[in-house]
Amino acid sequence: MTILWVLLALSLGAYVIAVLEGWAVHGRLQPARPAISALALLGRESLLARKPDRLFFEAGPVLLLVAGLLAVAVIPLAPGLIVTDLATGALFLNAALAYVLVALIMAGWGPNGAYGMIGGWRFLGQFVAYAMLIVMPITAVAMRAESLSTVDIVRSQAALWNIAYQPLGFALFVVAAMGLAWLPPLDLPTAPGDLAGGIEAEYTGARLAVLRLARMVLILTLAGATVTFYLGGWLGPWLPAPLWSALKILLVAGAMVGAGRLLPRVREARYLELSWKLGIPLALTNIFVVGVIALVVPI
Amino acid sequence: MSMVDMTRDMPKSPDGLKMERITVPFGPFFPGLPGGLRLDLTLDGDAVAEAEAGSAAGGGNRLPEAATAPDAFADRLAALSPLSPVAYRELACRALEAAAGLSVAPDLARARAAAVERERIASHLGWLAGFGAQSGFGWLEARAAALQRQVRAADVAEIAALAAKIGALLRRVRRAPLLRSKLSGIGLLADGDAPPGPAARAAGLAADARADDPAYAGLGFEVLTGSGGDALARLTQRLGEIAQSLDLIARAGTVALPVPRDIGTASGDGTAQVETPRGAARLRLTLRDGKVTAAEIGAPSAAHVALIGAVAEGRELGDALTAIGSLDISPWEMTA
Repeated sequence: MTILWVLLALSLGAYVIAVLEGWAVHGRLQPARPAISALALLGRESLLARKPDRLFFEAGPVLLLVAGLLAVAVIPLAPGLIVTDLATGALFLNAALAYVLVALIMAGWGPNGAYGMIGGWRFLGQFVAYAMLIVMPITAVAMRAESLSTVDIVRSQAALWNIAYQPLGFALFVVAAMGLAWLPPLDLPTAPGDLAGGIEAEYTGARLAVLRLARMVLILTLAGATVTFYLGGWLGPWLPAPLWSALKILLVAGAMVGAGRLLPRVREARYLELSWKLGIPLALTNIFVVGVIALVVPI
Repeated sequence: MSMVDMTRDMPKSPDGLKMERITVPFGPFFPGLPGGLRLDLTLDGDAVAEAEAGSAAGGGNRLPEAATAPDAFADRLAALSPLSPVAYRELACRALEAAAGLSVAPDLARARAAAVERERIASHLGWLAGFGAQSGFGWLEARAAALQRQVRAADVAEIAALAAKIGALLRRVRRAPLLRSKLSGIGLLADGDAPPGPAARAAGLAADARADDPAYAGLGFEVLTGSGGDALARLTQRLGEIAQSLDLIARAGTVALPVPRDIGTASGDGTAQVETPRGAARLRLTLRDGKVTAAEIGAPSAAHVALIGAVAEGRELGDALTAIGSLDISPWEMTA
């Protein structure tokens, strides 16, 4: 039953995010647009590229969807409303998201097209930039909770949300999450302006619908992870716990989707430089500061 | 077969690796480039090894070959460059007037200059919108495109009303985070490169046909130059020129589209040059019995195309496309 509720919430959330992304891209709020687009995609012929690597071409979008769904399994929406409360939930989330890289390289390589292939390899470079900045802030979050369970992590924020306790970690995690979901200004693998869609360029019809759905799920998953790790998960006054989770997740996802509209795309070399020369030292500082606070003034 | 055998005869990349190169078409319909620009990039990994450009926007020299009436000639020249028709119409009018030995009243000359400046604002805003589309800067794309549509046919009062909005856009672009790091050092021109128009002025060269134009002298025009010669300098230059054009239009007080005057059955040769939004365009024509019998045009984009290799080769793909976009090439002018 819990799985059904989570899947229902995920479907609704993905739809809302698609509406918000349409708003961010086209500047118009069109609630029916995702439904129309999905129907149009499903009605179109799903073309097969010339001489594709068929296994990679077909499996890439599906693997991306599976990775997102696996990660969702450890996001708690309310006490008891979680697919599985693993003792190593935060680690599991990280492990599931590692397959995003594999899926995108497969999706980029599979169609045997230049734009897709470059997009896939670009994501590999992007992975080198964001990977440590996903893991290191989670380490600090787990330090405070003294647990890798995502439910415990939410409960550890009862007195003070982690966004206030470790704001540096929050900022780093959100930026890294935007890189992981290749959201603008970190949309290098798709980059409409210089790759004409990149990894999406050779996909059409139902295959493209799966790829886009998977990305929506991924965005929601990362927004859910941000809420779990930094915004107190389901915690909040007056409203029921699941509603708090839904509101926070949609707010974070909306901000992540909308922010890119206000910035130009980051150069890949600059992103790597910033991540390693600035981001990782800041993440280490965050771990140190959180460790000191946890030892000196436990909150 | 081993990797060494497979790559034995392949050219080496700058990092020493031997990789298979691929030639990828970008255009004539590519989201981040002007429509009609045909660009074939040979990629070595994700770096551009070679760049070759062409135009799909026209079929060679489209100037009229038979004797043509002045009105039809001006229309033809304006149609030659759909991205800046007013400047080319002004070019035709000036050359016709020079060939017929006609002078233009200073007020009318200033009003026509104001029309060219209005087009310059619209063109630079259009370039900004294109840059926004190329770089994923959605807000800039939408805002600049909206203002471009409003400016295109606005009169002086409407332009004055839009000046505050345009000024706000310029200020916000100048302050935009990540913009400097995206453009700085990209598409850097060498000392020997001589681009026309804003690209030259951005590199500190005072190359501007308006400097010798009496109509502009009457408006207090001074050549605006920058420094740097990279894509950031070209962006900054265009922002500065938008503000400058707004001032020039305000000083002119009125806008009048150039219209060919009645030249009767005049005969003679005439030359003219106009600073279009992309650089100086030159026209030489011959009039016989009031009709244009020969014409020769020099458009700025041909010089921009010659710089594509210099700004793109050896650069990462995204940087190369940013550099090419910063030149503001008009595919229509390439075949003029």
